[in-house]
Parts: sequence; structure tokens; C-alpha cells
Amino acid sequence: MVHTTVGQPVGQVAGPLKVTGRATYTADIRLPNMAYGAVVRSTLPHARIVSIDTSRALAMPGVLAVITGKDIPPGRVGRRIRDLPILAVDVVRFVGERVAAVVAEDQATAEAAALAVEVEYEELPAALTMRDALAPGAPILHPDLASYDGLPGAPPQQSNVLSRRTYGYGDVDEGFRQADVIIQRRYTVPRQHQGYLEPHACLVSTAPDGTAEVWLTNKTPFQAQEQAAKALGIPKEWLKVHVTPIGGDFGGKGSVMDVPVAYHLSKACGRPVRMVMSYVEEFTAAASRHAAQITMKTGVKRDGTIVAHQVRALFDSGAYGAFKPSPTLELMGNTRLGGAYRMENVAVESLIVYTNTFPAGHMRAPGLPQAIFALESQLDALARTIEMDPVEFRRRNLIREGEATPAGEQWVQVRAIETLEAAARAAGWGTPLPENVGRGVAVSEHGAGAGASTVQAGLDERGFYLRTGAPDTGTGSHTIMQQVAAETLGVPHHAIRIETSHTLAFPFDFGVGGSRVTHVYGRAALAAAASLRDTILQRAAAAFDLPTDQLGWEGGQLRRPDGRLVDPFTVIGPVEVEETYDSAGAPNVTGFCAQVAEVRVDPETGKVEVLRIVSAHDTGQVINPIGHEGQIAGGVIQGLGYALMEELPVVDGYVATQSFAEYKIPAMGDIPELEIVLLPEPTGPGPFAAKSIGETPNVPTAAAIANAVEDAVGVRIVDLPITAEKVFRALQRKHEHGHHHH
Amino acid sequence: MPQQITISVNGSRHRVQVPADRMLVDVLRDDLGLTGTKEACSVGVCGVCTVLLDGEMVSSCLVFAIQADGREVTTIEGLGDPDHLSPLQRAFIENGGFQCGICTPGQIVAATALLTEHPAPSDDEIREWMTGNLCRCTGYYQILRSIKAAAS
Repeated sequence: MVHTTVGQPVGQVAGPLKVTGRATYTADIRLPNMAYGAVVRSTLPHARIVSIDTSRALAMPGVLAVITGKDIPPGRVGRRIRDLPILAVDVVRFVGERVAAVVAEDQATAEAAALAVEVEYEELPAALTMRDALAPGAPILHPDLASYDGLPGAPPQQSNVLSRRTYGYGDVDEGFRQADVIIQRRYTVPRQHQGYLEPHACLVSTAPDGTAEVWLTNKTPFQAQEQAAKALGIPKEWLKVHVTPIGGDFGGKGSVMDVPVAYHLSKACGRPVRMVMSYVEEFTAAASRHAAQITMKTGVKRDGTIVAHQVRALFDSGAYGAFKPSPTLELMGNTRLGGAYRMENVAVESLIVYTNTFPAGHMRAPGLPQAIFALESQLDALARTIEMDPVEFRRRNLIREGEATPAGEQWVQVRAIETLEAAARAAGWGTPLPENVGRGVAVSEHGAGAGASTVQAGLDERGFYLRTGAPDTGTGSHTIMQQVAAETLGVPHHAIRIETSHTLAFPFDFGVGGSRVTHVYGRAALAAAASLRDTILQRAAAAFDLPTDQLGWEGGQLRRPDGRLVDPFTVIGPVEVEETYDSAGAPNVTGFCAQVAEVRVDPETGKVEVLRIVSAHDTGQVINPIGHEGQIAGGVIQGLGYALMEELPVVDGYVATQSFAEYKIPAMGDIPELEIVLLPEPTGPGPFAAKSIGETPNVPTAAAIANAVEDAVGVRIVDLPITAEKVFRALQRKHEHGHHHH
Repeated sequence: MPQQITISVNGSRHRVQVPADRMLVDVLRDDLGLTGTKEACSVGVCGVCTVLLDGEMVSSCLVFAIQADGREVTTIEGLGDPDHLSPLQRAFIENGGFQCGICTPGQIVAATALLTEHPAPSDDEIREWMTGNLCRCTGYYQILRSIKAAAS
């Protein structure tokens, strides 16, 4: 099928505003009489609040109000489980927890006054690591866990465990008895910050009756409306939440953050209140990717058969579970601890553990980079141990059509092996490399997104339009909707304008997440555009007193039987339709991604330089090649940062990297050569056979790089990031070990 | 003590009362309402708040407003508007040089300074010049391509 707009490199609909500084993000909005908020945060990881003295802060000129947890109705926040107090009451559980808040005439005064609030604490024993938290006699962070709203069921009876999941089949002990080689290793991965360059911001303007208008950096405004209303104990209809452009999400912009505090501050001072988190607050108290410890014991036969795979994965939730949106409070990566490989016996246990550190949240493919780093490192080590080529080992074990994954998922149109082979071919797999240069491969996959969403389509005096309740987080989602509708209406993409609606004038909208946008909003936009065309044709036919099949549709215009083209608006006036697409019943597909990294390791310093990455994708029809490439390139470079440099270490309860000067993310000087390979003959449940792309490209990168490091210099790094120091020490150990033998 | 300063921003002169510790980025965003300049790290390492001060690239979160007294500031708003895009702005749209757009004003201001100094930069010159402007969305390849497209 030939498309005119779909598949074309169309620039983003918001492009002219974004490149000229005219796009208005939340922190750019200023209302008349607006005041500024700041937060007082806990300085201890676990403590009882003895007293809070706000008098000095209140006496400062320009300070309008100071509130503590005792000054507001009790309320807890959460995307699913509501365990995080709006402001701490009696107890703080991490360094950075909100204890009090200040509102003032200007930002500088608010920040100075926040420093002037005096909090007296009585320090409590803290569980700073998952090991501490799981130890017998550990301090219990949430003695009242069972009473919290939003739990999927009775909480696990294990201290500080928020959720526990097990799955598997067969008998791993019997499997290990059949194995020729068994490897057991513990992989550790750090917290990773989403690194969006727009810190969380909100603006809340309350009316005397308690209703409010809200602007916030949130990719799911309708869910934010519900979450904020529940925390505040008010009907959700009281909150008019606006859709704003999002300055980067990567999974991190799904929470209400300061909104409940700003609501109370606005009520306290009777003015609109804006709050913008500093980047120190972002690194120390936002919702970074979960750190994890994943222990894998895997047995294989000499022919590569995986006979047993046993996993214990611990994910560090930090002090609260509030930023986890999944109904089961799990991370989706839990289900990928055995990947998409054929395994004869499997036993997986996965725990989410409370610790006295800042709460973790979702980041791009939640749980997957953790799981896939461990799994793909483990499989690579096994392949090398039985002296089988790592690509061949994977080719033998990746599932085929009709087979299920270790977690029991089964897809149609499985193209795992084709994707792996495409990456290997493009990377020149098997061709010789210079000394200290190596190649590594890793495989992952992600579904095509799911759920229901509504899109409205219309025609008015200004032309065609689409209306959605979803923001564009930067991925180009609005442009994809525009292109899909343009294709359907036979008009150029720029002939369709995109409108967004606040939460009080549009049906509930799930919002952005889980790689669902292209599939679900794309199909909804397609259906809405088709319905609009059909509605116009019917009404115009009635107006002309013609049978509908006597009217043609050409380039957004009506063709009458005499051949004349007529602008439909002049015939029928304004028209608007609404369509909801629900993915239930769509074929269950996934999109595979295989990456090959080529690295050079300096044997003198241990420094790893990534020379080249090949990223192959079974991605379906590409709607917009600019945006599609951008998702892959941006994801790969986030994966490279995860592999080599990014880490939020918590030392004695304090985050050690509190700015972009210490928390390094890749810069333009760090990027390797990148080759993207797309599988032909697209299949997918999205519009025009599209799948998803947002969450796959950052997943296998760290494992591919770790595997390449071993290929280059023979050392295996099992804890991210792969710093020069770790490689250097591993090389030293290898060297010493070698000397003992010779 | 607040001081009175006069700064020229995108060709318009402004007199502003500022405390001695007020940063240029705050004057631009809050006092003058020029919110095209964004702020992220606040410590001069991300490049998001990049503006030109007498044609030199600076991080406006590191420059005191009083240091800009009597000088010429160019922000993203001075480089073009949606109906009159600069070649760089157009190239960023056509080549996917941005996604979320929050670092984009800083990227385009920095790239404008680059092309003034090196009208036909090599890949290495672009990488070196632009490495102080972080972007989390694109992985930089399409930014590099945008700058090359605008230069040619």
C-alpha cells in the first residue's frame, strides 16, 4: 500500500514554537498575583519529627504562609498505592522527604524561608540497603502497610517487602543435575535518573470554594487529576488539569509531585502558586529508575540447551511505592528475567523492597534494562563457557512462533531470530577485530502498547482538527496522529491542527505510557478521521439530496457528480465526531530489538570507548521516520549512559551525585557510530501496521556493551556502570590470576 | 541593595532593578517575560540556559544580571519567530534536531554562535562546540545533522 503522508519525514507539529522559544511549558506560565512555593525536606533517612518551628520563616518579609503536615488534612499520594504523605507527619523515611512548605512573593524569598524552618528530629535506625531492610530485626518502614489504599491484595508477610512475585515451571534442581555447565552470578544495577531537562513544575490556582486550576509536567493529566483529588480528599471534578507540553518524560513524568502541596499553599495564601523543583531535588527526591540486585543461576548443556534458570531479583523501591503505576506494584521487567528464551525449568522470585532512601519510579521500559542486563550478560557468559558463538547460542534458544516465554507470554508474528540475524549481519559479526576491541550482542523486545483512548475529529471554519487529552511528551505523538488522520482524509498533514483538552471537557484519557501512543492514539485518530469523512459525506449527500455514493471525497473536498470540487464546510458547516479505540482483541505482538556494540578497551586504564552500535528492530510500519529514528538514537544513548556513566549512589542515606556536574549523562562528544536496521514487511496492530518503538532501544545496550568488554579484554563486569576503575581492577585481578598459573 | 541596570535584549533596551545576586536567567525569564530561555541544572553544565552576551556564548544561570549591565544579550526569541525561522531553526525542524524542545533554545543559540565562528564546521568541530549542551531525547545524531544542514 502506498501512503502519501504516513512514512514521510514530517517535522513536529509544535516545531515552529519549540525552535523559537515560544512553546509554553509549565514553568513558563505566569498568572496575575502568582506566588512561589518551596519545600522543606528531611535531612535524615529515618527519624521522628519532634517539633517544627516556622516562626523565623514566617517573620521574613515577603513570606505569605508556611505549612506543615499537621496544618493540612491528612492525605497520602500515589499512582497506585497511596503511601507517601503530602507532607510528613510524625515520621520521615528518606533524606529529601517533604516536611514543610513555604509560599512567598518571589522564588528567592521562598527558598530562603524554607531554609529558616527549624525541624527537630529524633533519629531512628534506618534500613539504607535492601540487605539491611530484609535482615531479621530490621527497622520496619511501614508498620501500617496493610491499611494503605491501593494495595493489590494482602501485602507480603515479609518485613519491608512491598510486593513479591514468583513464576516458573518444571524442576530447576533436576535441570541443574542435567546441566554440563552452571553459572551463578549476582548482577547489580544502580538508580538511573530520567535526565529530562525540564524539572518537575506545577502551577495551582485555587478558588475559595476549593476548586482549582492545575498546570503540571505530567504525561497523564487525567490520571493526575484523580491522584491529586484522592490525596486532597476532594472530588476530582474540582480539579481542572491542563495538558501542557512536556520537556522530556522517559517514564518520569507520571506523578503529581508538588501539586498537593501547591494546592494547600494556594489555599493558605489565596493566590496562584507555582512550584518548580530544582535539579538537586530532581536527583535526590524525584522518581528515578529502581536499583536492583539480580542473582541468576543458569545451567546449560554443551549443545546450548538451557536446562535450568533460577532467579532472585530484588528491586529497591526506596521509602515509598507511590511512583509505581502498575496495579500489581511490580515492574514490567519482572516478566523478562528469562527473556524470550526457551528454558526447560524456570524458577523466578522477584521482590520490591522498601528502604530508607528516596522513592524509585518508572523509567523508560520499567525494570527491563535491569532484567536484560543481567540475563543477557548471564547468557553471554554461558555461551563463552561452552565455547559457542554468542549469536549462535541465542539463535538456538530464542523462542519461535507458537512458543511461550519463561513468564508465559505468547505472541504471534515472532521475529526474534530474524531481528538477531539482521543485527549480526549489519555489525559484521564474526569478522576479525584489532586487539582490545570486542563485539557484544544483546536482545530484548517490547509489546506494542495497549488500552483505550478517545480522539475527536472535526471540521470548522479554520479547517480540519483533531482533539486529544494526551500531551506530546516530545516523542512527536501529536504529529503521528496528524499524519494518520491526514492519510485518511487525503489532505496534507499541515491541513490538520491539533488541539488538546483539559480534564473537565474531555472523556477520561489514560495518557502516555507503556509505548501505547502510536498504536492506541494512532488507531483512535484513524477511526476519528474516517468517521469524520463518512459523516461529512452523509450530511453533504443529504444537503445535496443525492445518494451518498454519488459524492466523492478528494483531498478533503467533496466531488459532486458534475465533477466540481466543493469545500465541505460551505455545505454542512461545523461537524465534530469522537471515536474510541480499544486494543482489546488486537493480536498480541511484540517488537524485537537486537543490538551489537563494538568497544575498544584501554588495557592501561580500563577505559571503555564505544566505537559503534548496530540496533536492529522489528518495528512495524514507520509512521514518521524522523521521530522513529529519534526514539532509537535517543534510547541507545540513554542505554550507553546506563552502561558506562550514570549512577545515583546513596551514601549513608544521602545521594552523592546532586547535579549534572556529578551525574554524567552522555554529551555529543560521547556518541559512537550508530547504524539502525529495520526489518522489512512490517506487521503490527497499530495504524498502517505500526508497532511501538519508544521503550525498546535503551534496553539491550548495557548488556551488549558489557558483553563487548568481555570479548575485547576477557573481563566480565557485573555491576553497572562499567567505569574505567572497575575494568582496570578486573584486568589487574585477571593478570594476577594468570601469574599464579604460569 | 537593588541596583539599576540597563541591558539590551534582542535589540530592545530594558532598565531593571535587580539585587546584586540575581542571575541573568531570572531577569530574562521573570522580569522581562522572555521564557524562551529555559533553566535546568542551575550550575552551568547543561547548556539549557545558553544565551549570547555581546555575541559570546554564556550560561545565563552563571552570569549575574549586573554583569550584563550595558551589554547586549541575544536570546532564542531574537533569532527568529514561527513565521520567520532562521536557517538553523528550520533545519532543526526538518532534521529532527529536537523532540521535547526544552534544550532546543540553548542548542540553537549555541549552534548560532558556532556557525558565526565556523560557517562550515567539521563533525569534530560541531561535537566539540556542542558538547556543553545536553539533550536527553535525541542522542544528538539529528542535532548534528541539523547543524550540518544549516551550514551547507
